[in-house]
Amino acid sequence: MLEVSIEHNLGSFNLDVSFSLNKGVLGLLGSSGCGKSMTLKTIAGFFAPDNGEIKLNGEIFYSSKQKINLPSRKRKIGYVFQNYALFPHMTVYKNIDYGIKHLKKDERYKKVNEMITRMQLEGLSNHYPSQLSGGQQQRTALARTLIAEPDLLLLDEPFSALDAHVKQLLEIELIELIKNSYNGIVLLVTHDIEEAYRICDQIMIIEKGMNYPVMGKKDLICHPPNLTAAMITGCKNFLDVTLIDESDENLRLQSGRLIFDAVKPVQPVDGMMTAGIRAHHLSFVPKDSVNDNNYAVEVVEVIEGVYSNTIIVNCSGCVLRVETSKTFDFGMPEEWLLHIPAKRVFLIKRDQRDKH
Amino acid sequence: MDSINLFPLYLSLAVSLCSTLISLVIGLPIAYFLSCKRGRVVNFLDTLTSLPIVLPPTVLGYYLLVLLGRQSPVGQFLENSLGIMLVFTPVGVVIAATIVSIPYLIKSSKTAFLEINEDYLNAARLLGRNEFNIFLTIIIPISWRGIVAGLTMCFMRALGDFGTTLMIGGNIPGQTSTMPIAIYNALQAGNKDMANMLVLIMTGIAVMVLFIINSMEQKVKRG
Repeated sequence: MLEVSIEHNLGSFNLDVSFSLNKGVLGLLGSSGCGKSMTLKTIAGFFAPDNGEIKLNGEIFYSSKQKINLPSRKRKIGYVFQNYALFPHMTVYKNIDYGIKHLKKDERYKKVNEMITRMQLEGLSNHYPSQLSGGQQQRTALARTLIAEPDLLLLDEPFSALDAHVKQLLEIELIELIKNSYNGIVLLVTHDIEEAYRICDQIMIIEKGMNYPVMGKKDLICHPPNLTAAMITGCKNFLDVTLIDESDENLRLQSGRLIFDAVKPVQPVDGMMTAGIRAHHLSFVPKDSVNDNNYAVEVVEVIEGVYSNTIIVNCSGCVLRVETSKTFDFGMPEEWLLHIPAKRVFLIKRDQRDKH
Repeated sequence: MDSINLFPLYLSLAVSLCSTLISLVIGLPIAYFLSCKRGRVVNFLDTLTSLPIVLPPTVLGYYLLVLLGRQSPVGQFLENSLGIMLVFTPVGVVIAATIVSIPYLIKSSKTAFLEINEDYLNAARLLGRNEFNIFLTIIIPISWRGIVAGLTMCFMRALGDFGTTLMIGGNIPGQTSTMPIAIYNALQAGNKDMANMLVLIMTGIAVMVLFIINSMEQKVKRG
């Protein structure tokens, strides 16, 4: 169980983060400079916060009240740095061996070789970090960290130093390796929602030094708690709406001239609302389709992407972005209607940008 | 032709070696302290340790005389309680050489320490090592080139010092006259052979040291 509650003045803004986590992989998601790396570094003990408390499994790492600040070397934390921070003057073997110098020699030899096999680094033990590929460096860094059997594993943007084409492969590899050889708590810092979604069980968004509550990743995507969360998780379409009617299941919403239905959220929303709908949930249906929430649209622009196309449309005065597959052939725009699935529309209270 | 007296050479080499060693032992911790701390005390110490580079050697020698001479409290204490005399002795010469040369080691090492990525140190900390251990296993091995460069400059500066050594050690042949002073003496006495010989030796040493450094740097690049 990790419990963090810290405050720290960073000059341009205040870091004010509090959360707790029982187990699993938590993604700290936020734009660059939002304080997510700083949070990780504070947990690791590289900085002491101005105020607060950090506890892991009941052991106090830091407490401003009790004046405790456990040095990093006693925290039993594993940390994979953005650039891996492998010691450049040591071979792969010596790097991995560095954290277990307190053990007996033959035991160390056994453990290091075991770790080298597990991390698929055979034949590289006498190489220096500069002779390794990005993936090998990453595995060496992970080996060096895991061999000390940390209680908490911190990953600071571990994929940002890699090329795009090896990134995904390594991501799968890293997750496999971590899941097979580690069962403690993992915190992953990233600015990429896709990466966070693939790797983590839960996600916590940090913005300008403040965190939003920890959420399950599916929940976060379907029901983002606020505008920032919706934007950081990649939602592009937002409409300021007013409620004009409601039935047992649905709400009827109006934004300008556009009137559409949305499924009633579990928590009642009232007052000023913003409706969000993700670009890939919008779709085009043939003109004669009979389901609700279909609208004739005017195509503004088509942006071709590698894996999908984005079509920007004007729907009764509202500009929406629609993501379509590469195989979708638009042909005559008049033949199609835009479908807004009522289930996929989420509602956010406007100005709900403050914490919690 | 008089036989050439090589005592100044031995004295100079011994003094330079001693002062380089002392600089290493005192200078490295100072350089480390200056590289990882900030504040007024650090700034003051930084300025103080750089002062010997910019002060004229005779001025530096004068300060040392005032500080360590027989009239000063330190000098009196050393002479009365321990029977040690610094002024006009080889020990004094070593002190003078150390003071003029130590800034080069400190500057060079400090720069090398500052270039070390902080993440290496943090990684080592999380792997359970204490600061002294990290200094020995990470900081020194990564910055050894800067330290060696500093040591070399330190050695050469100690070898070549004239002004400060003269102020503290005086010019006692067979006791405190180092190579640069012996060259001056030879020239004053009109002993051209001696002067030529000593100058050649000094030049030889300088060229040799440069050669060693260069080949060492190339080895590092190739390796």
